[in-house]
Amino acid sequence: MRALRGVDFDLAAGEVHALLGENGAGKSTLIKVVTGAHAPDAGEITVAGRTVHGLTPTLAQQLGIACIYQQPALFPDLTVAENIGLRLEHGGATRRIDWPARRARTADLLARVGATIDPEAEVNELSMPEQQLVEIACSVGAGARIVIMDEPTASLTQREQGRLFTVVRELRTAGVGVVYISHRLEEIFALADRVTVLRDGASVGTHPVAAMKEADLIKLMVGREVAQLYPPAEAPPGDVVLDLKAIGCTASGVRGVTLELRTGEIFGLAGLVGAGRTELARVLFGLTPADSGEIRLNGRRVVIPSPRQAIELGIAYVPEDRRRHGVILEMPIAQNMTMAVHRTIFPRGWLRDGAEEALALDFIRTLAVKCAGPDAPGGTLSGGNQQKVSLARWLATKPRVLILDEPTQGVDVGAKSEIHRIIRRLAKDGLAVLMISSDLPEVLGMSDRIGVMRGGALATVLPGGSDAHTVMAAALGQETNKGAA
Amino acid sequence: MSAPDAPAGWKRLFLRYEMLLFAALVAEWLLFHYFGTTTNRRGVVVGFGTMDRQFDILRHSCEIGLLALALTPIIITAGIDLSVGSLLGLCAILFGKLWFDGGLPIPVAAGLTLLIGALAGGLNAGLITGLRLPPLIVTLGTYSLFRGLAEAITHGAVTYTDFPTSFLFVGQERWLGLPVQAWLFALVAVAVWLLVHRTVFGRSFRAIGFSPEGARYAGLPVGRRVALAYVLAGLIAALAAIIYTARLGQAKADAGTGYELFAITAVVLGGTSIFGGKGSVTGTLLGVALIAVLKSGLATLPIVIRLNAAEEISGLLTGALLLAALTGSVLPKILSSLRSHRQAG
Repeated sequence: MRALRGVDFDLAAGEVHALLGENGAGKSTLIKVVTGAHAPDAGEITVAGRTVHGLTPTLAQQLGIACIYQQPALFPDLTVAENIGLRLEHGGATRRIDWPARRARTADLLARVGATIDPEAEVNELSMPEQQLVEIACSVGAGARIVIMDEPTASLTQREQGRLFTVVRELRTAGVGVVYISHRLEEIFALADRVTVLRDGASVGTHPVAAMKEADLIKLMVGREVAQLYPPAEAPPGDVVLDLKAIGCTASGVRGVTLELRTGEIFGLAGLVGAGRTELARVLFGLTPADSGEIRLNGRRVVIPSPRQAIELGIAYVPEDRRRHGVILEMPIAQNMTMAVHRTIFPRGWLRDGAEEALALDFIRTLAVKCAGPDAPGGTLSGGNQQKVSLARWLATKPRVLILDEPTQGVDVGAKSEIHRIIRRLAKDGLAVLMISSDLPEVLGMSDRIGVMRGGALATVLPGGSDAHTVMAAALGQETNKGAA
Repeated sequence: MSAPDAPAGWKRLFLRYEMLLFAALVAEWLLFHYFGTTTNRRGVVVGFGTMDRQFDILRHSCEIGLLALALTPIIITAGIDLSVGSLLGLCAILFGKLWFDGGLPIPVAAGLTLLIGALAGGLNAGLITGLRLPPLIVTLGTYSLFRGLAEAITHGAVTYTDFPTSFLFVGQERWLGLPVQAWLFALVAVAVWLLVHRTVFGRSFRAIGFSPEGARYAGLPVGRRVALAYVLAGLIAALAAIIYTARLGQAKADAGTGYELFAITAVVLGGTSIFGGKGSVTGTLLGVALIAVLKSGLATLPIVIRLNAAEEISGLLTGALLLAALTGSVLPKILSSLRSHRQAG
């Protein structure tokens, strides 16, 4: 199987060059080739006018190529200074460590990337964006001329993202070439000078960003027109299904959330990372039960002490981290899909292979899951298809309330709009959908109403069609003025 | 990227592994049959090739086999139970005491012993699922605790003997052509096979073994399922204790010492992953048979008889076999990573 076939890509000093493509288009492989992790079997790589043969990770580092991955690869129990020292200091195991110099250098590098991080802080105390800044400081310290960033904003809030952009722009000013990989088109328009689109392992064109429109890029990526990014609502919402009155959970920091959820409605839940949205979902699903307030389902007061109880009440939760919580990667798709409905599909406790396979085939068809068959392990699927499997597991419970946590995170554009259409269809069929998303355009485009959470509480509920600025302002609260770019 | 053919390849490998075990078992048996069978001066066939020897192998493998069956679901949940051997000892003693000192009829004593076994398993289960302590440490503790209790009850000296012949029938006689305990063993094997492979319980064990968090998010009652596996192990260990007592005609405190390690070896040799998720009861049975035939067969080889070192050699070979099986199971992965490394370098 060829992951790459004929990629042309050039990066100038002092530019931000975006790399765009659906999952599996070859972005990761291209990075591996450029950082020396994989050897190409055709073509050539030229760095600063010199053709490089037999690129290895060490050689790549010497040439000034650095890569910052989505998940920072730092030692969590060591301090920032120790981590940077490990990367940048040379010498054998018996050398003496010059601690003051190490700290000074770390402080200097952190200052250069505009980070206010204590060099003595342990990495596990840092937030994700702070860890990324440490990584960037490392690459600056290593004298990197080429910095590759692989979806750096995937786990960042809007504000943290703004800070990262500032650093990237500074790198550009300093003459560093930045390869910027992201699924979020708006970031590319905000940041990049040029954009190269990969499709099926080949480059399908490099263009100045200024000359492109969102629709053009999407067209290049998927090779076809995506009719409309967000499907419209078709009918007004119905009766109240879920009625929360001042729900709180001390352990997870959810405070006094009051909201009504109606059938046929998509209720978007926006907010910064850590605002308590996932925590609220976990309360509603019985993972961390509520300790104050009142939950009514179809008018009847209920308690939700466990996921099992939640399932019986008709509440389903498609979790954010699909690889850890949504799908068991080693198990076949069919078994993943029936996992929450053992009681109904295997009423006597005996497995019924026929019934299981029928259910799986049904969902594979209706959700258009691309897979080798119901026996294929979940781990063999792409992100978007794994998400569909996770969704199928919960639709099989025939829920009345469907909670979706970041339903399209890390999903490529094609699968994303497919998932959006499915969500809209489910709402139309009478489900009440609570959709948590950090993807602001998604929240704005999909939601009939938008709840904004801040500090564990529901700060405000906005009507659908609100603009990004209003939502962001509500999410940021007091800090509106210092808000993201 | 090799996604489409992965499941088939996986299944193929797994089937092949069990077939491999079976082939090894047959080869082993034929080898011992050839080299371990002789005719003595009076013209009587002795050694490995006799039916008596085959029944002997069956009898000896029942207790360790039962413990291995008990451990299979536990190891599939990515747990471990080191206490089953000690529990066998404790249950044997309590069974003897209930009958001899308590004056209870054998069936009542046996029933109570099974109950005690289940309760002891419940203690493991409670500590592991209730207090969220690691199974290795919990069962290391009960491993000492159960054995210590058995020693304390008997002051390390008392042995219960003189069981009625109607009871010894279970351990020493045949029924429908096979040793009686072999029927009990088969019954438990079928039950555990059904549990692991054909019920939602077995399905849950697998899910928990692969990803306990993932299982929790899917609404599976993780604690209750794990607890079931340990309680069941206690119950089966108690049954093994009764069979052990019937076979030897005596209940003593050191019964089953070291059995847990043989049982774990058999389970892992049978292809169950110590990391959880993967595993089969068929594999476990083959693993038990492989070890039992090896142990018994070695003792019939002339060279081993001359060296008088059957125990030592069988220990050595069992260890080597286990390491070879483990190495073999990771070998394809290592080879492919080496290959890709060479490509990159």
